[in-house]
Amino acid sequence: MATNIDNNAVLIEVQNLRKEYNGGEVVALDNCSMSVRRGEVVSIIGPSGSGKSTLLRSLNLLETPTSGRIIFDGVDLADKKVDINLHRRRMGMVFQHFNLFPHKTVLQNITIAPINLKIMTKEEAEAKAMQLLERIGLKDKANEYPAMLSGGQKQRIAIVRALAMNPEVMLFDEPTSALDPEMVGEVLDLMHSLVMDNMTMVIVTHEMGFARKVADKVVFMAEGSILEVNTPDELFDNPQDPRLKDFLSKVI
Amino acid sequence: MNWSSLYADMNAANFFNFSFLPKYASFFVEGIIYTLLLSIVAVALAVIPALLLALMRLSKNKVIKAISGAYIAVFRSTPLLVQLYIIYFGVFGAIRIPSVYIGFIDLSRFIPGVVALAINSSAYVAEIFRAGILAVDIGQTEAARSLGMTGAMSMRLIVLPQAIKNILPALANELITMVKESSICMTLGMQELMWGAKTVAGNTYITLAPYVLAAMIYFCINFPASKAIEAIERRMRRGDKH
Ligand SMILES: Nc1ncnc2c1ncn2[C@@H]1O[C@H](COP(=O)(O)OP(=O)(O)OP(=O)(O)O)[C@@H](O)[C@H]1O
Ligand SMILES: [Mg+2]
Repeated sequence: MATNIDNNAVLIEVQNLRKEYNGGEVVALDNCSMSVRRGEVVSIIGPSGSGKSTLLRSLNLLETPTSGRIIFDGVDLADKKVDINLHRRRMGMVFQHFNLFPHKTVLQNITIAPINLKIMTKEEAEAKAMQLLERIGLKDKANEYPAMLSGGQKQRIAIVRALAMNPEVMLFDEPTSALDPEMVGEVLDLMHSLVMDNMTMVIVTHEMGFARKVADKVVFMAEGSILEVNTPDELFDNPQDPRLKDFLSKVI
Repeated sequence: MNWSSLYADMNAANFFNFSFLPKYASFFVEGIIYTLLLSIVAVALAVIPALLLALMRLSKNKVIKAISGAYIAVFRSTPLLVQLYIIYFGVFGAIRIPSVYIGFIDLSRFIPGVVALAINSSAYVAEIFRAGILAVDIGQTEAARSLGMTGAMSMRLIVLPQAIKNILPALANELITMVKESSICMTLGMQELMWGAKTVAGNTYITLAPYVLAAMIYFCINFPASKAIEAIERRMRRGDKH
Protein backbone atom coordinates (compact mmCIF):
# COMPACT_ATOMS: atom_id res chain seq x y z
CA MET A 1 0.00 0.00 0.00
CA ALA A 2 2.48 2.63 1.17
CA THR A 3 5.20 3.31 -1.35
CA ASN A 4 8.97 3.08 -1.01
CA ILE A 5 8.71 0.78 2.00
CA ASP A 6 12.02 -0.81 1.19
CA ASN A 7 13.78 2.50 1.58
CA ASN A 8 12.42 2.92 5.08
CA ALA A 9 14.38 1.90 8.13
CA VAL A 10 13.47 -1.06 10.29
CA LEU A 11 11.57 0.19 13.35
CA ILE A 12 10.98 -3.10 15.17
CA GLU A 13 13.10 -6.19 14.78
CA VAL A 14 12.06 -9.36 16.60
CA GLN A 15 14.84 -11.92 16.87
CA ASN A 16 14.42 -15.53 17.96
CA LEU A 17 11.66 -14.67 20.38
CA ARG A 18 10.59 -17.39 22.77
CA LYS A 19 7.84 -17.11 25.35
CA GLU A 20 7.05 -19.82 27.85
CA TYR A 21 4.29 -19.88 30.43
CA ASN A 22 4.08 -21.90 33.61
CA GLY A 23 7.80 -22.66 33.70
CA GLY A 24 7.95 -24.07 30.19
CA GLU A 25 4.72 -26.06 30.30
CA VAL A 26 3.24 -23.84 27.59
CA VAL A 27 5.40 -22.56 24.75
CA ALA A 28 3.41 -19.65 23.35
CA LEU A 29 6.16 -18.42 21.03
CA ASP A 30 8.93 -20.52 19.60
CA ASN A 31 11.85 -18.88 17.81
CA CYS A 32 9.85 -16.09 16.20
CA SER A 33 11.64 -13.54 14.07
CA MET A 34 10.10 -10.70 12.07
CA SER A 35 10.56 -7.05 11.36
CA VAL A 36 8.45 -3.96 10.93
CA ARG A 37 9.69 -1.04 8.88
CA ARG A 38 8.66 2.54 9.38
CA GLY A 39 5.43 3.22 7.53
CA GLU A 40 4.77 -0.46 7.05
CA VAL A 41 1.47 -2.17 7.86
CA VAL A 42 1.98 -5.71 9.10
CA SER A 43 -0.93 -8.00 9.69
CA ILE A 44 -0.67 -11.10 11.86
CA ILE A 45 -3.12 -13.92 11.19
CA GLY A 46 -3.47 -17.49 12.39
CA PRO A 47 -5.75 -19.86 14.26
CA SER A 48 -6.84 -19.30 17.85
CA GLY A 49 -4.08 -19.99 20.36
CA SER A 50 -1.34 -19.70 17.77
CA GLY A 51 0.45 -16.94 19.71
CA LYS A 52 -0.63 -13.84 17.79
CA SER A 53 -1.53 -11.85 20.89
CA THR A 54 1.55 -13.00 22.71
CA LEU A 55 3.76 -11.87 19.85
CA LEU A 56 2.03 -8.49 19.60
CA ARG A 57 2.11 -7.93 23.37
CA SER A 58 5.78 -8.81 23.44
CA LEU A 59 6.49 -5.88 21.13
CA ASN A 60 5.81 -3.38 23.94
CA LEU A 61 6.81 -5.85 26.63
CA LEU A 62 3.36 -6.40 28.11
CA GLU A 63 4.67 -9.95 27.91
CA THR A 64 8.28 -10.42 28.96
CA PRO A 65 10.14 -12.68 26.55
CA THR A 66 11.69 -15.84 27.92
CA SER A 67 14.52 -15.36 25.42
CA GLY A 68 15.24 -13.49 22.24
CA ARG A 69 15.41 -9.82 21.36
CA ILE A 70 12.94 -7.08 20.50
CA ILE A 71 14.87 -4.25 18.96
CA PHE A 72 12.82 -1.06 18.80
CA ASP A 73 14.56 1.79 17.03
CA GLY A 74 17.94 0.27 17.84
CA VAL A 75 17.26 -0.54 21.52
CA ASP A 76 16.73 -4.08 22.81
CA LEU A 77 13.57 -3.75 24.90
CA ALA A 78 14.10 -7.18 26.47
CA ASP A 79 17.21 -5.76 28.16
CA LYS A 80 16.37 -5.30 31.86
CA LYS A 81 18.34 -2.05 32.01
CA VAL A 82 16.04 -0.35 29.49
CA ASP A 83 13.36 1.98 30.90
CA ILE A 84 10.46 0.38 29.10
CA ASN A 85 8.07 3.21 30.03
CA LEU A 86 9.95 5.65 27.82
CA HIS A 87 9.62 3.30 24.85
CA ARG A 88 6.00 2.39 25.46
CA ARG A 89 5.05 6.04 25.01
CA ARG A 90 6.18 5.71 21.44
CA MET A 91 4.05 2.61 20.77
CA GLY A 92 0.28 2.88 20.92
CA MET A 93 -1.73 -0.21 21.74
CA VAL A 94 -5.38 -1.02 21.07
CA PHE A 95 -7.04 -3.93 22.81
CA GLN A 96 -9.83 -6.26 21.88
CA HIS A 97 -11.92 -5.12 24.86
CA PHE A 98 -11.07 -1.41 24.51
CA ASN A 99 -9.88 -1.05 28.13
CA LEU A 100 -11.09 2.51 28.42
CA PHE A 101 -10.86 3.89 31.96
CA PRO A 102 -14.48 3.74 33.17
CA HIS A 103 -13.98 6.28 35.96
CA LYS A 104 -12.69 8.93 33.56
CA THR A 105 -14.54 10.93 30.92
CA VAL A 106 -13.69 10.48 27.26
CA LEU A 107 -11.56 13.62 27.36
CA GLN A 108 -9.76 12.48 30.52
CA ASN A 109 -9.17 9.04 29.00
CA ILE A 110 -7.31 10.71 26.16
CA THR A 111 -5.40 13.29 28.19
CA ILE A 112 -4.53 11.42 31.39
CA ALA A 113 -1.29 9.90 30.11
CA PRO A 114 0.18 12.89 28.26
CA ILE A 115 -0.65 15.21 31.18
CA ASN A 116 0.62 12.98 33.98
CA LEU A 117 3.72 11.96 32.07
CA LYS A 118 4.33 15.69 31.59
CA ILE A 119 4.56 15.31 27.84
CA MET A 120 1.99 18.06 27.33
CA THR A 121 0.37 20.74 29.45
CA LYS A 122 -3.28 20.23 30.28
CA GLU A 123 -4.24 22.84 27.66
CA GLU A 124 -2.11 21.22 24.97
CA ALA A 125 -3.38 17.75 25.77
CA GLU A 126 -7.00 18.88 25.73
CA ALA A 127 -6.58 20.76 22.49
CA LYS A 128 -4.99 17.71 20.92
CA ALA A 129 -7.74 15.45 22.30
CA MET A 130 -10.50 17.70 20.96
CA GLN A 131 -8.83 17.77 17.57
CA LEU A 132 -8.67 13.95 17.55
CA LEU A 133 -12.28 13.68 18.71
CA GLU A 134 -13.28 16.04 15.95
CA ARG A 135 -11.52 13.79 13.46
CA ILE A 136 -13.61 10.80 14.53
CA GLY A 137 -16.80 12.82 14.89
CA LEU A 138 -17.15 12.29 18.63
CA LYS A 139 -16.37 15.78 19.87
CA ASP A 140 -19.78 15.94 21.54
CA LYS A 141 -18.88 12.91 23.67
CA ALA A 142 -15.85 14.57 25.28
CA ASN A 143 -17.48 14.83 28.70
CA GLU A 144 -19.34 11.52 28.65
CA TYR A 145 -18.19 8.45 30.53
CA PRO A 146 -17.29 5.34 28.51
CA ALA A 147 -20.34 3.48 29.85
CA MET A 148 -22.51 5.79 27.74
CA LEU A 149 -20.81 4.86 24.45
CA SER A 150 -21.40 2.09 21.92
CA GLY A 151 -18.68 -0.52 21.33
CA GLY A 152 -17.61 1.10 18.08
CA GLN A 153 -17.37 4.49 19.74
CA LYS A 154 -15.38 3.02 22.63
CA GLN A 155 -12.88 1.41 20.31
CA ARG A 156 -12.45 4.57 18.27
CA ILE A 157 -11.84 6.51 21.48
CA ALA A 158 -9.31 3.87 22.52
CA ILE A 159 -7.50 4.32 19.23
CA VAL A 160 -7.53 8.08 19.66
CA ARG A 161 -6.27 7.72 23.24
CA ALA A 162 -3.23 5.91 21.89
CA LEU A 163 -2.79 8.44 19.07
CA ALA A 164 -2.76 11.31 21.56
CA MET A 165 0.73 10.19 22.62
CA ASN A 166 1.98 10.74 19.05
CA PRO A 167 3.19 7.14 18.76
CA GLU A 168 5.56 5.96 16.07
CA VAL A 169 3.77 2.64 15.74
CA MET A 170 0.29 1.39 16.58
CA LEU A 171 -0.30 -2.17 17.79
CA PHE A 172 -3.79 -3.62 17.40
CA ASP A 173 -4.95 -6.87 19.00
CA GLU A 174 -8.15 -7.93 17.26
CA PRO A 175 -9.65 -4.45 17.53
CA THR A 176 -12.99 -5.44 15.99
CA SER A 177 -13.66 -8.92 17.36
CA ALA A 178 -15.57 -7.73 20.43
CA LEU A 179 -17.83 -5.50 18.33
CA ASP A 180 -21.34 -6.01 17.02
CA PRO A 181 -21.06 -6.52 13.25
CA GLU A 182 -22.64 -3.18 12.43
CA MET A 183 -19.87 -1.36 14.31
CA VAL A 184 -16.92 -3.09 12.71
CA GLY A 185 -16.94 -0.76 9.73
CA GLU A 186 -16.45 2.49 11.62
CA VAL A 187 -13.39 1.08 13.43
CA LEU A 188 -11.86 -0.35 10.28
CA ASP A 189 -12.47 2.98 8.53
CA LEU A 190 -10.55 4.81 11.21
CA MET A 191 -7.72 2.30 11.01
CA HIS A 192 -7.72 2.70 7.26
CA SER A 193 -7.34 6.43 7.62
CA LEU A 194 -4.26 5.82 9.79
CA VAL A 195 -2.84 3.67 7.02
CA MET A 196 -3.42 6.57 4.65
CA ASP A 197 -1.47 8.81 7.04
CA ASN A 198 1.46 6.40 6.74
CA MET A 199 1.24 5.22 10.33
CA THR A 200 3.34 2.16 11.10
CA MET A 201 0.91 -0.53 12.22
CA VAL A 202 0.93 -4.10 13.45
CA ILE A 203 -2.55 -5.61 13.34
CA VAL A 204 -3.62 -8.94 14.74
CA THR A 205 -6.92 -9.61 13.02
CA HIS A 206 -9.46 -12.12 11.86
CA GLU A 207 -10.68 -9.65 9.23
CA MET A 208 -8.96 -11.22 6.24
CA GLY A 209 -10.48 -8.78 3.77
CA PHE A 210 -9.13 -5.84 5.72
CA ALA A 211 -5.71 -7.44 6.17
CA ARG A 212 -5.52 -8.02 2.45
CA LYS A 213 -6.58 -4.47 1.66
CA VAL A 214 -4.25 -2.54 3.97
CA ALA A 215 -1.29 -4.75 4.82
CA ASP A 216 2.08 -4.49 3.16
CA LYS A 217 3.02 -7.78 4.72
CA VAL A 218 1.06 -10.62 6.28
CA VAL A 219 2.50 -12.91 8.94
CA PHE A 220 0.92 -16.33 9.40
CA MET A 221 1.36 -18.04 12.77
CA ALA A 222 0.47 -21.49 14.03
CA GLU A 223 1.38 -23.20 17.29
CA GLY A 224 3.71 -20.45 18.41
CA SER A 225 5.72 -20.27 15.20
CA ILE A 226 5.79 -17.89 12.28
CA LEU A 227 5.25 -20.18 9.30
CA GLU A 228 4.89 -17.79 6.41
CA VAL A 229 5.50 -14.10 5.74
CA ASN A 230 4.52 -12.56 2.44
CA THR A 231 2.69 -9.81 0.62
CA PRO A 232 -1.06 -10.20 1.02
CA ASP A 233 -1.61 -11.16 -2.61
CA GLU A 234 1.04 -13.87 -2.52
CA LEU A 235 0.05 -15.16 0.89
CA PHE A 236 -3.66 -15.34 0.21
CA ASP A 237 -3.54 -16.43 -3.46
CA ASN A 238 -0.53 -18.66 -3.37
CA PRO A 239 -0.13 -20.09 0.14
CA GLN A 240 2.76 -22.51 0.59
CA ASP A 241 2.52 -23.96 4.07
CA PRO A 242 -0.12 -26.70 4.35
CA ARG A 243 -1.35 -25.27 7.64
CA LEU A 244 -1.84 -21.87 5.99
CA LYS A 245 -3.77 -23.51 3.16
CA ASP A 246 -5.91 -25.30 5.69
CA PHE A 247 -6.44 -22.11 7.72
CA LEU A 248 -7.42 -20.07 4.66
CA SER A 249 -9.83 -22.72 3.46
CA LYS A 250 -11.64 -22.40 6.79
CA VAL A 251 -11.75 -18.63 7.18
CA ILE A 252 -12.34 -17.40 3.63
CA MET B 1 -30.59 -32.60 91.18
CA ASN B 2 -33.07 -29.79 91.37
CA TRP B 3 -33.55 -28.67 87.80
CA SER B 4 -35.94 -25.90 88.64
CA SER B 5 -33.37 -24.07 90.79
CA LEU B 6 -30.76 -24.50 88.06
CA TYR B 7 -32.98 -22.63 85.68
CA ALA B 8 -34.06 -20.10 88.28
CA ASP B 9 -32.25 -17.29 86.48
CA MET B 10 -33.77 -18.22 83.14
CA ASN B 11 -36.88 -16.15 83.26
CA ALA B 12 -37.77 -13.09 81.31
CA ALA B 13 -37.81 -10.89 84.36
CA ASN B 14 -34.12 -11.57 84.98
CA PHE B 15 -33.18 -11.05 81.35
CA PHE B 16 -34.83 -7.70 81.21
CA ASN B 17 -34.41 -6.44 84.76
CA PHE B 18 -33.24 -2.99 83.69
CA SER B 19 -33.93 -1.42 87.11
CA PHE B 20 -30.28 -0.30 87.20
CA LEU B 21 -30.78 2.07 84.29
CA PRO B 22 -31.81 5.30 86.01
CA LYS B 23 -28.67 5.25 88.13
CA TYR B 24 -26.19 3.61 85.76
CA ALA B 25 -27.24 4.79 82.29
CA SER B 26 -24.06 6.85 81.98
CA PHE B 27 -21.94 3.67 82.01
CA PHE B 28 -23.69 2.56 78.86
CA VAL B 29 -23.65 5.94 77.16
CA GLU B 30 -19.94 6.39 77.82
CA GLY B 31 -19.40 2.77 76.87
CA ILE B 32 -20.99 3.33 73.48
CA ILE B 33 -18.85 6.41 72.89
CA TYR B 34 -15.69 4.58 73.96
CA THR B 35 -16.48 1.56 71.80
CA LEU B 36 -17.22 3.65 68.73
CA LEU B 37 -14.08 5.73 69.21
CA LEU B 38 -11.93 2.65 69.67
CA SER B 39 -13.33 1.02 66.52
CA ILE B 40 -13.35 4.04 64.25
CA VAL B 41 -9.88 5.23 65.25
CA ALA B 42 -8.47 1.70 65.01
CA VAL B 43 -9.80 1.10 61.50
CA ALA B 44 -8.79 4.61 60.39
CA LEU B 45 -5.26 4.05 61.69
CA ALA B 46 -5.17 0.69 59.92
CA VAL B 47 -5.89 2.08 56.45
CA ILE B 48 -2.49 3.47 55.47
CA PRO B 49 -0.39 0.54 56.80
CA ALA B 50 -2.89 -1.82 55.19
CA LEU B 51 -2.52 -0.15 51.81
CA LEU B 52 1.26 -0.45 52.10
CA LEU B 53 0.97 -4.09 53.12
CA ALA B 54 -1.35 -4.80 50.19
CA LEU B 55 0.95 -3.12 47.68
CA MET B 56 3.91 -5.01 49.17
CA ARG B 57 1.97 -8.23 48.89
CA LEU B 58 1.29 -7.50 45.19
CA SER B 59 4.92 -6.54 44.53
CA LYS B 60 7.10 -8.63 42.25
CA ASN B 61 9.97 -8.42 44.75
CA LYS B 62 9.93 -11.72 46.63
CA VAL B 63 11.45 -10.34 49.85
CA ILE B 64 8.98 -7.46 50.11
CA LYS B 65 6.16 -9.84 49.32
CA ALA B 66 7.30 -12.30 52.00
CA ILE B 67 7.59 -9.63 54.70
CA SER B 68 4.06 -8.47 54.12
CA GLY B 69 2.81 -12.04 53.82
CA ALA B 70 4.39 -12.97 57.15
CA TYR B 71 2.92 -9.94 58.91
CA ILE B 72 -0.54 -10.70 57.60
CA ALA B 73 -0.23 -14.39 58.47
CA VAL B 74 0.90 -13.73 62.04
CA PHE B 75 -1.87 -11.27 62.84
CA ARG B 76 -4.57 -13.33 61.20
CA SER B 77 -3.50 -16.59 62.81
CA THR B 78 -3.25 -15.56 66.45
CA PRO B 79 -6.06 -14.43 68.74
CA LEU B 80 -6.67 -10.72 69.00
CA LEU B 81 -6.67 -11.08 72.79
CA VAL B 82 -3.11 -12.42 72.77
CA GLN B 83 -1.98 -9.66 70.42
CA LEU B 84 -3.65 -7.09 72.66
CA TYR B 85 -1.82 -8.31 75.75
CA ILE B 86 1.55 -8.55 74.03
CA ILE B 87 1.24 -5.06 72.59
CA TYR B 88 -0.19 -3.60 75.79
CA PHE B 89 2.32 -5.06 78.19
CA GLY B 90 5.22 -5.53 75.81
CA VAL B 91 5.34 -2.51 73.59
CA PHE B 92 3.52 -0.06 75.83
CA GLY B 93 5.18 -1.47 78.92
CA ALA B 94 8.35 0.08 77.53
CA ILE B 95 6.74 3.26 76.17
CA ARG B 96 4.82 4.79 79.05
CA ILE B 97 2.01 7.11 78.09
CA PRO B 98 1.12 9.67 80.77
CA SER B 99 -2.35 9.37 82.25
CA VAL B 100 -3.99 12.23 80.38
CA TYR B 101 -7.76 12.37 80.25
CA ILE B 102 -9.85 13.58 77.35
CA GLY B 103 -13.32 13.69 78.84
CA PHE B 104 -13.72 10.34 80.56
CA ILE B 105 -11.14 8.63 78.34
CA ASP B 106 -7.78 7.80 79.87
CA LEU B 107 -5.25 8.07 77.03
CA SER B 108 -2.71 5.85 78.77
CA ARG B 109 -5.16 3.00 78.26
CA PHE B 110 -6.90 4.13 75.10
CA ILE B 111 -3.78 4.60 72.98
CA PRO B 112 -2.22 1.17 73.55
CA GLY B 113 -5.62 -0.43 73.02
CA VAL B 114 -6.38 1.41 69.83
CA VAL B 115 -2.89 0.76 68.47
CA ALA B 116 -3.21 -2.96 69.18
CA LEU B 117 -6.58 -3.08 67.43
CA ALA B 118 -5.20 -1.06 64.50
CA ILE B 119 -2.21 -3.35 64.08
CA ASN B 120 -4.48 -6.36 64.07
CA SER B 121 -6.96 -4.70 61.75
CA SER B 122 -4.27 -3.65 59.27
CA ALA B 123 -3.65 -7.31 58.48
CA TYR B 124 -7.31 -7.83 57.63
CA VAL B 125 -7.71 -4.53 55.82
CA ALA B 126 -4.58 -5.34 53.78
CA GLU B 127 -6.38 -8.37 52.43
CA ILE B 128 -9.42 -6.22 51.69
CA PHE B 129 -7.23 -3.83 49.70
CA ARG B 130 -5.50 -6.68 47.92
CA ALA B 131 -8.77 -8.30 46.90
CA GLY B 132 -10.16 -4.92 45.81
CA ILE B 133 -7.12 -4.21 43.66
CA LEU B 134 -7.12 -7.68 42.12
CA ALA B 135 -10.80 -7.33 41.26
CA VAL B 136 -9.97 -4.48 38.86
CA ASP B 137 -9.68 -5.86 35.32
CA ILE B 138 -6.02 -6.45 34.43
CA GLY B 139 -6.77 -4.77 31.09
CA GLN B 140 -6.94 -1.45 32.95
CA THR B 141 -3.35 -1.80 34.10
CA GLU B 142 -2.28 -3.00 30.66
CA ALA B 143 -3.90 0.00 28.98
CA ALA B 144 -2.25 2.37 31.45
CA ARG B 145 1.16 0.75 31.10
CA SER B 146 0.88 0.64 27.30
CA LEU B 147 0.53 4.43 27.40
CA GLY B 148 3.86 4.61 29.22
CA MET B 149 2.58 5.12 32.76
CA THR B 150 4.78 3.70 35.49
CA GLY B 151 3.42 0.97 37.72
CA ALA B 152 2.94 3.45 40.57
CA MET B 153 1.16 5.94 38.34
CA SER B 154 -1.22 3.37 36.93
CA MET B 155 -1.95 2.13 40.45
CA ARG B 156 -2.68 5.64 41.70
CA LEU B 157 -4.58 7.05 38.73
CA ILE B 158 -6.27 4.02 37.24
CA VAL B 159 -6.46 0.99 39.55
CA LEU B 160 -7.01 2.40 43.06
CA PRO B 161 -9.84 4.77 42.10
CA GLN B 162 -11.69 1.76 40.69
CA ALA B 163 -10.69 -0.58 43.51
CA ILE B 164 -12.19 1.83 46.07
CA LYS B 165 -15.64 0.70 45.00
CA ASN B 166 -14.82 -2.86 46.02
CA ILE B 167 -12.91 -1.78 49.11
CA LEU B 168 -15.31 0.60 50.86
CA PRO B 169 -18.09 -1.89 51.68
CA ALA B 170 -15.57 -4.41 53.00
CA LEU B 171 -13.93 -1.68 55.03
CA ALA B 172 -17.28 -0.75 56.54
CA ASN B 173 -17.80 -4.40 57.45
CA GLU B 174 -14.39 -4.41 59.10
CA LEU B 175 -15.58 -1.48 61.21
CA ILE B 176 -18.58 -3.54 62.32
CA THR B 177 -16.31 -6.42 63.23
CA MET B 178 -14.17 -4.01 65.20
CA VAL B 179 -17.18 -2.69 67.15
CA LYS B 180 -17.73 -6.26 68.35
CA GLU B 181 -14.10 -7.31 68.75
CA SER B 182 -13.13 -4.20 70.69
CA SER B 183 -15.12 -5.63 73.59
CA ILE B 184 -12.01 -7.57 74.57
CA CYS B 185 -10.44 -4.26 75.60
CA MET B 186 -12.60 -4.62 78.69
CA THR B 187 -10.02 -7.06 80.03
CA LEU B 188 -7.50 -4.23 80.20
CA GLY B 189 -9.92 -1.89 81.95
CA MET B 190 -10.79 0.23 78.94
CA GLN B 191 -14.19 1.71 79.61
CA GLU B 192 -15.94 0.52 76.52
CA LEU B 193 -19.45 -0.86 76.38
CA MET B 194 -18.69 -4.34 77.73
CA TRP B 195 -16.69 -2.89 80.61
CA GLY B 196 -19.67 -0.68 81.42
CA ALA B 197 -21.99 -3.69 81.54
CA LYS B 198 -19.61 -5.69 83.70
CA THR B 199 -19.12 -2.80 86.11
CA VAL B 200 -22.85 -2.27 86.45
CA ALA B 201 -23.36 -5.99 87.04
CA GLY B 202 -20.71 -5.95 89.77
CA ASN B 203 -22.08 -2.87 91.48
CA THR B 204 -25.73 -3.85 91.42
CA TYR B 205 -25.56 -7.63 91.77
CA ILE B 206 -27.88 -7.76 88.76
CA THR B 207 -25.74 -10.29 86.90
CA LEU B 208 -27.62 -10.86 83.68
CA ALA B 209 -29.59 -7.84 82.46
CA PRO B 210 -26.62 -5.45 82.01
CA TYR B 211 -25.09 -7.92 79.54
CA VAL B 212 -28.41 -8.33 77.79
CA LEU B 213 -28.60 -4.57 77.42
CA ALA B 214 -25.03 -4.47 76.08
CA ALA B 215 -25.92 -7.16 73.55
CA MET B 216 -28.98 -5.18 72.48
CA ILE B 217 -26.90 -2.06 72.03
CA TYR B 218 -24.26 -3.88 69.96
CA PHE B 219 -27.04 -5.31 67.83
CA CYS B 220 -28.74 -1.96 67.36
CA ILE B 221 -25.49 -0.46 66.13
CA ASN B 222 -24.28 -3.27 63.92
CA PHE B 223 -27.38 -4.73 62.36
CA PRO B 224 -28.69 -1.49 60.79
CA ALA B 225 -25.14 -0.60 59.79
CA SER B 226 -24.62 -3.88 57.96
CA LYS B 227 -28.01 -3.59 56.27
CA ALA B 228 -27.12 -0.07 55.17
CA ILE B 229 -23.84 -1.31 53.72
CA GLU B 230 -25.64 -4.05 51.82
CA ALA B 231 -28.09 -1.55 50.40
CA ILE B 232 -25.33 0.82 49.31
CA GLU B 233 -23.42 -2.07 47.76
CA ARG B 234 -26.50 -3.13 45.81
CA ARG B 235 -27.02 0.38 44.54
CA MET B 236 -23.38 0.73 43.53
CA ARG B 237 -23.53 -2.54 41.64
CA ARG B 238 -26.64 -1.37 39.80
CA GLY B 239 -24.88 1.88 38.89
CA ASP B 240 -22.08 -0.20 37.32
CA LYS B 241 -22.61 -0.66 33.64
CA HIS B 242 -19.46 -0.54 31.66
N1 LIG C 1 -0.93 -15.97 30.78
C1 LIG C 1 -0.87 -17.18 30.17
N2 LIG C 1 -0.60 -18.28 30.88
C2 LIG C 1 -0.53 -19.49 30.28
N3 LIG C 1 -0.71 -19.70 28.97
C3 LIG C 1 -0.97 -18.63 28.20
C4 LIG C 1 -1.07 -17.32 28.75
N4 LIG C 1 -1.33 -16.46 27.75
C5 LIG C 1 -1.41 -17.20 26.63
N5 LIG C 1 -1.18 -18.50 26.89
C6 LIG C 1 -1.16 -19.61 25.89
O1 LIG C 1 -0.28 -19.25 24.86
C7 LIG C 1 -0.80 -19.65 23.61
C8 LIG C 1 -0.89 -18.47 22.68
O2 LIG C 1 -1.88 -17.60 23.16
P1 LIG C 1 -2.28 -16.27 22.42
O3 LIG C 1 -3.26 -15.57 23.28
O4 LIG C 1 -1.08 -15.51 22.03
O5 LIG C 1 -3.02 -16.83 21.11
P2 LIG C 1 -3.78 -16.04 19.98
O6 LIG C 1 -3.18 -16.46 18.70
O7 LIG C 1 -3.81 -14.60 20.28
O8 LIG C 1 -5.24 -16.64 20.07
P3 LIG C 1 -6.68 -15.96 19.86
O9 LIG C 1 -6.91 -15.88 18.38
O10 LIG C 1 -7.62 -16.90 20.51
O11 LIG C 1 -6.64 -14.62 20.51
C9 LIG C 1 -2.12 -20.32 23.88
O12 LIG C 1 -1.91 -21.70 23.92
C10 LIG C 1 -2.51 -19.80 25.23
O13 LIG C 1 -3.27 -20.75 25.93
MG1 LIG D 1 -5.34 -13.21 20.83
